Amino acid sequence: MNQLNKVDIFLVEDNEDFSFLIEKAIDHIDKDLSLKVVDNGFSALEVLKHYNQEGTRPRIILLDLNLPGLSGLDLLREIKEIDFFKQVPIILFTTSDNPKDVRTATEYGANAYVTKPHGYVALIDCLRSLFNFWFNHHTTIK
Amino acid sequence: MTEFKVDSTNCDKEPIHILGRIQGHGFLIGVDYKDQLIQYISENTASYINDDPAKYLGKHIDEIEARMSISNYGDKLNISKIIILGLGNGFESLNPFYVKLDGKPFNLIIKNAGPIFLLEFEPCNTKEEFDLQKTIGRSISTILAETGLHPMLKTTALEIKKIIGYDRVMIYQFGEDGHGEVVAEEKNGDLEPFLGMHYPASDIPKQAKELYKINLTRIIADVDMDCPAIISNQGQNAPLDLTHSVLRAVSPIHIQYLKNMGVAASFSISILSNGELWGLIACHNYSPKFIDYKAREASKLIGQILSPALEYRLGEEDSERFALLNQSVSTLIKYIEKESDILSALTVNKVTINDVCSSSGAVLIFDNKITSIGLTPNNDEVKEIVKWVIDNSQDMVFYTHRFPAIYPDAEKYSDIASGLFACILSRELSEMILFFKPEQKQSIVWGGNPEKAVEAASDGSLQLSPRKSFDKWTEIVRCSSAKWNRGEIAALINFREQVVYQINRKANEIRQLSERLKLAYEELDTFSFTVSHDLRTPLSSIKSYTELLLLTNDSLDDNARKILERINACSDKMALLIKEILNYSSYTRNEINLEKINMRQLIEDVKNAIYESAQPKNLEFIIGSAPDISGDAVMIGQVFANLLGNAVKYSSKSVNAVVKIEGYVSENETIYTVADNGIGIDIKYYNRVFELFKRMDNVKDFEGTGVGLAIVKRIMEKHKGRIWFESQLGKGTVFYVSFNNEPIE
Repeated sequence: MNQLNKVDIFLVEDNEDFSFLIEKAIDHIDKDLSLKVVDNGFSALEVLKHYNQEGTRPRIILLDLNLPGLSGLDLLREIKEIDFFKQVPIILFTTSDNPKDVRTATEYGANAYVTKPHGYVALIDCLRSLFNFWFNHHTTIK
Repeated sequence: MTEFKVDSTNCDKEPIHILGRIQGHGFLIGVDYKDQLIQYISENTASYINDDPAKYLGKHIDEIEARMSISNYGDKLNISKIIILGLGNGFESLNPFYVKLDGKPFNLIIKNAGPIFLLEFEPCNTKEEFDLQKTIGRSISTILAETGLHPMLKTTALEIKKIIGYDRVMIYQFGEDGHGEVVAEEKNGDLEPFLGMHYPASDIPKQAKELYKINLTRIIADVDMDCPAIISNQGQNAPLDLTHSVLRAVSPIHIQYLKNMGVAASFSISILSNGELWGLIACHNYSPKFIDYKAREASKLIGQILSPALEYRLGEEDSERFALLNQSVSTLIKYIEKESDILSALTVNKVTINDVCSSSGAVLIFDNKITSIGLTPNNDEVKEIVKWVIDNSQDMVFYTHRFPAIYPDAEKYSDIASGLFACILSRELSEMILFFKPEQKQSIVWGGNPEKAVEAASDGSLQLSPRKSFDKWTEIVRCSSAKWNRGEIAALINFREQVVYQINRKANEIRQLSERLKLAYEELDTFSFTVSHDLRTPLSSIKSYTELLLLTNDSLDDNARKILERINACSDKMALLIKEILNYSSYTRNEINLEKINMRQLIEDVKNAIYESAQPKNLEFIIGSAPDISGDAVMIGQVFANLLGNAVKYSSKSVNAVVKIEGYVSENETIYTVADNGIGIDIKYYNRVFELFKRMDNVKDFEGTGVGLAIVKRIMEKHKGRIWFESQLGKGTVFYVSFNNEPIE
């Protein structure tokens, strides 16, 4: 388990396969990156509120759009209302290419909207470029 | 005396009932009912009193009675006492009073004429009186025993002839237009038959008809006999009302009419039906012949009994016909209940709409189709009739037996459609059933030319003159069919109601079915969409795990690696299929968004995309003329992407690949052709090319899902366009797509 005070990537994903693959992919990219996975919207919000109290701030939050309980979009809005996480980039992962969802996500303040990559190789490429952009170039949140 | 000059302007006003003359076979005395003073007396009374009748005006009835040699009142009665007797109960049941004048038998008949009592004396025949009662009874039972209408009328004529002994007895029926026809006749063998002859309405004027309704019998005993005047000291302003008089003299016009016909004596009995004059039993004798009161009353009784029997028989004949036709109606309704298609139920079976009446042709205008059975006008003419009926008929049924007379256009097909019966099923949809009857070139035989009833006098004015000629005059009536019988009309009205009910019932069923179908279709659509959609995630995982294994597990041998790569390829293939299904389903679900499309631009864009992804080598890509079309830009883009994509793909292995697209505008359509010199399509797959997931045998070496052409076809259908192709195996294929030049709705 990662220590509570060091979480690089916060992933909310109910699909075990996808979270397993992400975990593997992150490990593949950089063994030092720490990952916290929560499998539903309500638990995610609870954990994040707890992080807020103890001052733990993930470097990036990955949300699945379709979550049981609280949806990805609702969760996105809740997180954006917590000042402590305001500057944390939030990336929405989805299988939907419905333009309406994309627009709503941007309105709610999502930093990127990514279609779930097809295959492990594509996933590694995708995550690598995400991290590369948000961790190395987008330096304000470090 | 008042003299009436009759001409065509006042013929309807001629006051027949107050002529002031009587027929000479009897005499008349008019007394005031209160004081019994004589106010009117006929001149010929003189010969019965041997005195000047004028002397008795204003005198009591007793004074003149004393001058007459009267016997046989019985019971010490005299006229004065009889009048008092009749005051309370009327004279109807007391008439006639049998008297003897100078030893000769007479009937005294007393009638009311306002404040005056008419005392009319006419001869009486004692010989016949004897068995009259028996004769009447026999006659009536013979008449009523007949079952059909016409046998009944014929028997009536015969029985009347037996009672009155006239040379000719005719049953004369009035038509709707007032003209009359002889429908039954009994006559002496030497006489020319009048049966079937028609007589113009003007032969019996309106006011005469009114009198026929009041006096049910009328005798003119001798047309040549002088008509004695009725004298009175009341002055010219008080003519005597002779409406109820049995001796009333006849209009000189009518006398002349009878004389012209050669008739010397005439007797008529009215036949009423539903309070209207249905016809007359008209009796002619060629020598003077008086019929005594009791025989007249007997004839009247037969006429009165005949009337309700007639109504009953008419109704019975109608209901028999109705019952017969209604069997066809029931059969047709059963067909409708069984079959789903109303049109075929009414037109293709053993019983059709042409069997519910005696039509010779019937047309069903239903569901935007015109279905004709039997002899009918052509479709264009039917359309005109439908329009006319909708515009002109207030009711849901309309019928005529003289259609061309009200719709002149119908004259050109009057031979098959002079009679029209229209049952409107729906005004809004102009749906109806039309029934036709052919022209019946009716030869109407007139007893004399009816148009010559009114003649121009020497001064040029039109004068009503009694007809002189009764020669047969045959008129051919055109553009007229047999009439629509009451039974037929009832059957057709019933038929219409039942059909409309069935149509509504069916429409409800179809509406419910279509709603269920729509729901099922939507469900299926949603189902295929969500299933495809949801398949993507696990498929993605399969691929990812495979790749993960390949990437991270160094212990895999080559064989395992090969298998994992196959798994990977399969999942790619499946992912492509899913993508195409979603694509296909999205073209089904999306509404088309019409716009003018710049086709050259669109084709160039498609070409570039193809070059980018397929990167064809040695391809000659020719774009010919590219006329613009209207359509949904995204969908049309997909059509050409798929067609050109296929053309490029399947010609990629040809030596000198050529793909050519061009469009041309024809009269109604713009047609594009996409031609290639590729592998071609086997003709035996011709019908399956556009089916979903169908791929031909010869394309195994080419990537594809079998969805592309299904999408193209679906899009073309949505645009109400067409798609077809020509192909030769190994030589190439040409696809044609055509778009309507008129923008689709």
